[in-house]
Amino acid sequence: MADSEMNISTQLEETGSGEPRIRTEELLINMGPQHPSTHGVLRVMARLDGEKVVDAWGDIGYLHRCFEKIAEKRPLPAVIPYTDRTDYLAALSMELTYVLAVEKLLNIEVPERAVYIRFITNELQRIASHLLWFGAFCLDLGAVTGFLYAFRDREKILDVYESLCGARMLYNYFRIGGVRNDLYQGFRDTVLRLMDDLEKRLVEFDNLITSNKIFETRTVGVGVLTAEEAIAWGASGPVLRASGIPYDIRKADPYLLYDRYDFNVPVGTNGDVYDRYRVRMAEIAESIKLVRHGLEDLPRGGDIMADVPRRLSPSGDTYSRIESPRGEVGCYLVCDGTDVAYRVKWRSPCFVHLQLLGTLSRGSLIADMVANIGSLDIVMGEVDR
Amino acid sequence: MQQFISDQIMALGLPQWTFNVVWALIQGLLVLVFILFNALFLIWLERKVSGHIQLRVGPMRTGFHGALQTLADALKLLGKEDIIPSSADRAVFVIAPIIAFASAMLVYVVIPWSPNLIVQDLNIGLIYIAAVSSLLTLALLSAGWSSNNKWSLLGAMRSASQLISYEVSLVLSIVSVALLAGTLSLNGIVQAQQEWGLWFVVLQPIGVFVFLTATLAELNRAPFDMPEAESELVAGYSTEYSGMRWAYFMLAEYSALLAAGALNAVLFWGGWSGPFLPPAVWMLIKVYGFVFLAMWIRWSFPRIRVDHLMNLGWKVLLPLAVVQLLITAIIVVVWG
Amino acid sequence: MVRYIREILKTLKTLAIGMGVTFRNMISPSITIHYPDEKLDVPVGTRGLPVLLSDADGNLKCVSCELCAKACPVNCIEIKSYRGPNRKKILEVYNLDSTWCMYCGLCVEACPFDALAMSDQYELADYDLRNLVYDKERLAEIGRRQTTATINFGIKTGGEWTR
Repeated sequence: MADSEMNISTQLEETGSGEPRIRTEELLINMGPQHPSTHGVLRVMARLDGEKVVDAWGDIGYLHRCFEKIAEKRPLPAVIPYTDRTDYLAALSMELTYVLAVEKLLNIEVPERAVYIRFITNELQRIASHLLWFGAFCLDLGAVTGFLYAFRDREKILDVYESLCGARMLYNYFRIGGVRNDLYQGFRDTVLRLMDDLEKRLVEFDNLITSNKIFETRTVGVGVLTAEEAIAWGASGPVLRASGIPYDIRKADPYLLYDRYDFNVPVGTNGDVYDRYRVRMAEIAESIKLVRHGLEDLPRGGDIMADVPRRLSPSGDTYSRIESPRGEVGCYLVCDGTDVAYRVKWRSPCFVHLQLLGTLSRGSLIADMVANIGSLDIVMGEVDR
Repeated sequence: MQQFISDQIMALGLPQWTFNVVWALIQGLLVLVFILFNALFLIWLERKVSGHIQLRVGPMRTGFHGALQTLADALKLLGKEDIIPSSADRAVFVIAPIIAFASAMLVYVVIPWSPNLIVQDLNIGLIYIAAVSSLLTLALLSAGWSSNNKWSLLGAMRSASQLISYEVSLVLSIVSVALLAGTLSLNGIVQAQQEWGLWFVVLQPIGVFVFLTATLAELNRAPFDMPEAESELVAGYSTEYSGMRWAYFMLAEYSALLAAGALNAVLFWGGWSGPFLPPAVWMLIKVYGFVFLAMWIRWSFPRIRVDHLMNLGWKVLLPLAVVQLLITAIIVVVWG
Repeated sequence: MVRYIREILKTLKTLAIGMGVTFRNMISPSITIHYPDEKLDVPVGTRGLPVLLSDADGNLKCVSCELCAKACPVNCIEIKSYRGPNRKKILEVYNLDSTWCMYCGLCVEACPFDALAMSDQYELADYDLRNLVYDKERLAEIGRRQTTATINFGIKTGGEWTR
């Protein structure tokens, strides 16, 4: 496309003898790392033809903090606070991935109550993460109000977390073999009330955003990702499911309690931005159900920590994976019998999804590119690690 | 007052033209003061309205419920360093905010706040407004071009394309009002509505809708804020502007918003006419009603995409405006 | 033609619904907390600045075992001690660099003597970097202000909250 345009422009230059020369140029534009809608420090380079995006590619690494290397230098339990900082919007999912990997290696049986607590808090985390995504996505589309409504509800979930483990975002709550402390008095009632509220809020969000005609025209048919492409690029999570493939690690490779409860895996049809939006919103509703189930069956009393040796020195390698709000998060852990991991490899869904940006945006407008970045739900902390 | 100044000047033995100059200056000053105070108020109001819509409270600390916040901000902007990018087109860069502000201010010349409170009742008032208000786009275009910034350039181009697609339907909806009233003077239109005993909104339901949408688009207000489009183009044409130059754009935006409200009130809602209250009060109520509506809309909707904007302009608003014009013409011919 | 008009009307309807939502929220009370004037209650167990606790006599409980420093993932705790007259370790320097600290609470969990606790101090901003390195005295002073202390979030007390 670029070549043919160059031809046209040179032709115009040649024929226009005596007349003003008309020449068109592609515009190379830098979006970020300080741009309002790049979700952190993503830098997108785009070649534009007018407002049309000819090509776009991400430039990452602005938030690289050597997570994997640090994890190879610290004792196994001391890595948990670092995992929080990879995907800081779903910190508990990250902790879970790591903790599951270590437990697999050590063959630790986690007490029932701890598993339930992990299950409930993890689903709450999914809701919180999706709410934040909803807000940020509204902001990308210019609907500032939706952002604040979403944050209002997310804050309430963070309040629960703060009462539970003392921090709002970077929890450091899961431990190898269990969780750090038990639930607090009134956790159950607070969360149940919250879920009831949230169901009403979802209707409000639908009225404000989903049914809005402007929103519909902005998202339907934009950034279409076919099922084949999604698989070929290694997409996972809501991005993959929006393309029509019902693949969810919670179903395909159940961990925690996901094999005990029946839940739907929302699936899209067209794989456009609208479908990715719908899938995530439907996932919030499913998570609400799962949280309710978990609270119902939560065992009264019991241990929250397994008997874990004071000094952990596993050996061997393992891979654990979970379905984080953003997709498949994996942790490949190699240990060589010392208390420090030999190698930690983090599989990040955001990193994979970011590579889709060019495919999705080619031929669309700048505004669509912004919507695409938003719909992929990228957390730069996880991309760069 | 006019008489008083005239007498004074006669007494001094100065020629007639000095009176004209002095009188024009006084009027200009009055309009300027009104605009400035109004911009202060509107910016505060916007913050409050957006705050309450978003479950916040807006500014609270400076003055009663943050009433002096805008003033404080203006002082801060005045104290800022005047930055002109080294690669910018200096002359155009400097003059663009002035054009923007001037175009917004010039509209106030013909707006009737009450039967007599009007700077100059031009008999071609509507044409004058259509001409002057499109100057704003010229300012945005030159601002974006002279900044020598890619985002600004994109914003400038968007504003130009927006003007072209909305000016047509805007003027068409004005024309059908002018047809009904039989005059182009704004005072004349209000008087016509008063004589008929009903506001044109009853006769022009489609026209009101078209006019409202087109003015919002003309003002570059959300959901039509393509030239700024914070999440897409950073800040569009005003990316490189800071300090007082940026404040001029802000002033222009809010002055234009109020002018659009005034125009809306005059054309469709009977202007200053209304029972009991004095005419100027009625006018202000209607104007601020429109301003509130614009703010409400701004904080409710996502931004329209730039090509949908064109679609809306050409495929929806223009046909509607033409239909309205046809209906009006038939009414005028049959009854007139 | 009919579809065209219906489409426009449908659009207007959805827009009106959206505006209804924002209007309802506008007249509903706002959720703002006027932060420096009014503050939210910090829940029990909030992880603020780690502080040193004292016993009833006002002496620090710390025995300079340095377990906290070892447990710290970011090495923000600096401990120096010397052997006192009766071979007992005496704490000389206890510096906590709060610019490094990530408030994870692992030091508190590591402490076998309950000499360390996460305080409810969260307003830690300062104009001078040097003020952000907390020494023994300042940590102890904040620790004394903690009412009965949020020791260990109930980990060591078997799930019961201590405050």
